[in-house]
Amino acid sequence: MGNPALRTEAVWKVFHQEAEEVRAVRGVTLTIQPGEFVVLAGPSGSGKTTLLNLIGGLTRPSDGRVWVDGLELTRMSSRELARMRLEKLGFIFQSYNLLPVLSALENAEIPLLLRGLERSQRERRVRELFQRTGLAGLEHRRPGKLSGGQQQRVAVIRAVVGEPALVLADEPTANLDSAASDVLLTVMEELNRDLGTTFLFATHDSRLMERSRRLIHLVDGKIASDQWQEPRRE
Amino acid sequence: MSSKTAVIAKLALRNLRRQARRSLLTAASMIVGGALLIFSLILGDGTHEQWIDSAARMADGHLTIQSNRFQDSRALKDRMPSESRALVEQALRQGGLPGGIHAMVPRLAVTGMAGSAAGARPARILGVDPGVEAAFSVLDEKVRQGRYLRPGDRLAAFVGIGLLEALDLRLGSKFVLTAQDADGEIAGQLVRVVGTFRTGIPEVDRSLLHIPLSTGGAWLGCGDDITSLGLLLANSEQVPQARHSLQQGLSQLPGSEELQILSWRESLPELDAAVKIDDFSNYLFQGILFSIIALGIVNTVLMSVMYRRREFGVLQALGLTPGQSASLVLVEGLILTVISGTIGIALGLSVTWFLWGEGLDLSSMMDNEWTFSGVVMDPVVVPRFRAARMVQGLSFIFLIGMLSSLYPALRAMRIDVAETMKFER
Repeated sequence: MGNPALRTEAVWKVFHQEAEEVRAVRGVTLTIQPGEFVVLAGPSGSGKTTLLNLIGGLTRPSDGRVWVDGLELTRMSSRELARMRLEKLGFIFQSYNLLPVLSALENAEIPLLLRGLERSQRERRVRELFQRTGLAGLEHRRPGKLSGGQQQRVAVIRAVVGEPALVLADEPTANLDSAASDVLLTVMEELNRDLGTTFLFATHDSRLMERSRRLIHLVDGKIASDQWQEPRRE
Repeated sequence: MSSKTAVIAKLALRNLRRQARRSLLTAASMIVGGALLIFSLILGDGTHEQWIDSAARMADGHLTIQSNRFQDSRALKDRMPSESRALVEQALRQGGLPGGIHAMVPRLAVTGMAGSAAGARPARILGVDPGVEAAFSVLDEKVRQGRYLRPGDRLAAFVGIGLLEALDLRLGSKFVLTAQDADGEIAGQLVRVVGTFRTGIPEVDRSLLHIPLSTGGAWLGCGDDITSLGLLLANSEQVPQARHSLQQGLSQLPGSEELQILSWRESLPELDAAVKIDDFSNYLFQGILFSIIALGIVNTVLMSVMYRRREFGVLQALGLTPGQSASLVLVEGLILTVISGTIGIALGLSVTWFLWGEGLDLSSMMDNEWTFSGVVMDPVVVPRFRAARMVQGLSFIFLIGMLSSLYPALRAMRIDVAETMKFER
């Protein structure tokens, strides 16, 4: 068997705010295998986003270790982390975070462009994903000319186009109405099923929790429960 | 171009276009700055070249060959013997110099007294070869009465108007020159005024006079010996290379260790200082101007970085390193400054060329002759267009672009990606 998509071992993150010490993540140990569709749930302040940031190498842990696709992040330089993010991770943010100066297609192909893929290869892969996610024909629109749901689907394409080991999605449906959320979730389920993309979500959204196969509850920075479940189908 | 460079360049260009109004305002200040920079540089160069040319013609040329003791002693005993002179002149005629020699003049300079019935005055007496001196000196263009010396003249003198008046002389008057001769004895020579000149520089007009070189040689008992051989080049830029070449060429000649080659900077140290001071004040003015422009660029680029913190966070999350984020900001700053600076330089060149290509006439600002550092200035300043100045101007603008983008680039580099995402909420 290959490397897990993600492994954390007793990861801690402690913030110091003036005289106060905030323990945002407390000794989280977690393994996610390739192809999983996992939701990290919990109330606000439970440490979901901090844990995603630690996994994404955006924040360094105070203690513990993190591996993504077998690579240990803990001792990487910022340059190595950037390379790891480019090759191993995809990010989906709550506010889509597309670059407004680029078209939908240009936004989606950034990871491939940064990896140095030929234009024809990039376009083929991106257009295929636009087709698959129902965005065909919108490739040359700027983000401002797309709806929120469409923008988030472009962000999903950007996250998966490089076939990363793990996609980290922080509240991806928070800014969407229920119809757009359903479309987005269906798209991500299909990508997970058809392409084997591994997703780890941090969310409050009950619809997303219901559609996951593994639901991890985080409370006060610790894993309170880690359950496998039968996802609800739309 | 690497893939990351391509992304950075594309984003930089698009971002500048996104903030078109802000970019254009900043570019406008750089365009004006670039135009002013090149205008002041080429006009300054033209002015300096005019000063140097005028001074070189009035004095001993762009390059002067003389005995290595003459500069300090200014005494006739430290003259260049006729044998050395002949060898040097022959070598120069045969070998030439890079850029060519515009004129080569032998001179015999002594300090003595000029006396008439009205009294005696100190005089700077210059024995010259009238045939070649006319191509070298500007004195023949400053004739007030009579004429300049001619080949074949013997006891003729071309006298400054101040000296003429002090000695109460007129055209055709005779007067006596007295100076220490080659043997250290006091010797006198009767000469006749054939012409007078007025340079506008009182100390020159009150003391200088030209006599034929042969008359001087015979009077002072030094035959064909001279005190200096002046070389006039096409322009002052050729001086360093010509001097180097001359040094190499003369080192082959017998007795070369007795000779020295001086550039105008050494023979006219006041003018050298004046040029340097003028350059410095020009650079200081440009420095102040561009500091103000640079602050504008810092503001534009920094605002752009602060406004796009989230975008920098996203780019770093996608795999751009902090250094590459910084380079994106640097590229934006450089594109803005280099393009606008280049346009400014082109504008400055075009305006200067079309409006003042033939010269900028400043005569309306001057009452009389304009003298500076012992040199009469031409009121028409002709701009000097040099490729090196364009390169300097562009390099300076490039440096300003780089420096003014440095701080915003550091801010982009130090962005905390996780904080940026938090900030978004």
